[in-house]
Amino acid sequence: MPSFANIDEIDVRIIRALQKDARANFSHIAKDCGVSTDTISKRFKRMKRNGIARGTTVLLNPRSFGYDCVSSFGIRVDHLHVGEVIDFVDELPEIVFCTPSLGRHNIFAIAVLKDVGRLEQVKEHIKRHPKVGEVMTSIWVDETQLCPENFEFQHIKKK
Amino acid sequence: MDETDLAIIDRLTEDARTSFRQIAKELSISPDTVVNRYTTLREQGVIRGSTVVIDPKKIGYQAMAVFMIDASPANVIADESNSAAPSQILEKLIRMPSIIVATKTIGDHDILAIGVARDFEHLICLRDIIMRIPGIKDLEVSFWVKRTEICPKYLVI
Repeated sequence: MPSFANIDEIDVRIIRALQKDARANFSHIAKDCGVSTDTISKRFKRMKRNGIARGTTVLLNPRSFGYDCVSSFGIRVDHLHVGEVIDFVDELPEIVFCTPSLGRHNIFAIAVLKDVGRLEQVKEHIKRHPKVGEVMTSIWVDETQLCPENFEFQHIKKK
Repeated sequence: MDETDLAIIDRLTEDARTSFRQIAKELSISPDTVVNRYTTLREQGVIRGSTVVIDPKKIGYQAMAVFMIDASPANVIADESNSAAPSQILEKLIRMPSIIVATKTIGDHDILAIGVARDFEHLICLRDIIMRIPGIKDLEVSFWVKRTEICPKYLVI
């Protein structure tokens, strides 16, 4: 079994607060947890050091940057050439996520694109690869919901 | 948006906790300018919020899965009159622990959800729970174990 980094309830509360607002004031979180601001700061540093928290970032609206179309792809590939096709797909600047997967398709990818016209070009480009079979596309409709808070922390130390 | 806005956004994308004072120093502008620019970007919805990026593997999730859902026609049509309101299926999905992205889609399926699973048993359990949501006609699952972070610029989980 893999070993899980030691995190306790205070760590989880820090993560929950930062998931909602990464700029949250450590002194406010400290007050909520009944510990010092320094403790919060140290704990967050530790979580970054051991890789639980990869960092903090702002959530941008792709439309503000001229990207009007988010789409996912399910790609069926000759299974001996998955790695090669992944490199081929990942090379496209619009691809923001690309992974081998198990299921009907053996590659799953997400792209952020200027418009549907570009989506068509990208799809055609992928299909031109000789080892690529079926390419399924789904355009994400506006109200995409992101819920990072749905991560459950199963392995926290009970005090 | 001008170059200053983009520079502020770049800096915050790298580390959302960077102090405005630090950004001001790096860009040789006043901290007030940074605050004002940030406030405006928030108000315009260019910056929708900020979050901490978690590595699911470090907290016990071994796999990620995408659930591609076909809704029964009645369910899809019922929502057409008010496309701003998420459908009932979407609402149920997003309330499920482990589902971290859910969206209506146009194309090969009606709804797509991405979730994290502790192991295969958990994955099957998630599939069974989703299958029981009323209005779901069909469900296709693909999963992966290697890359379990989605943290690109415009789509952060």
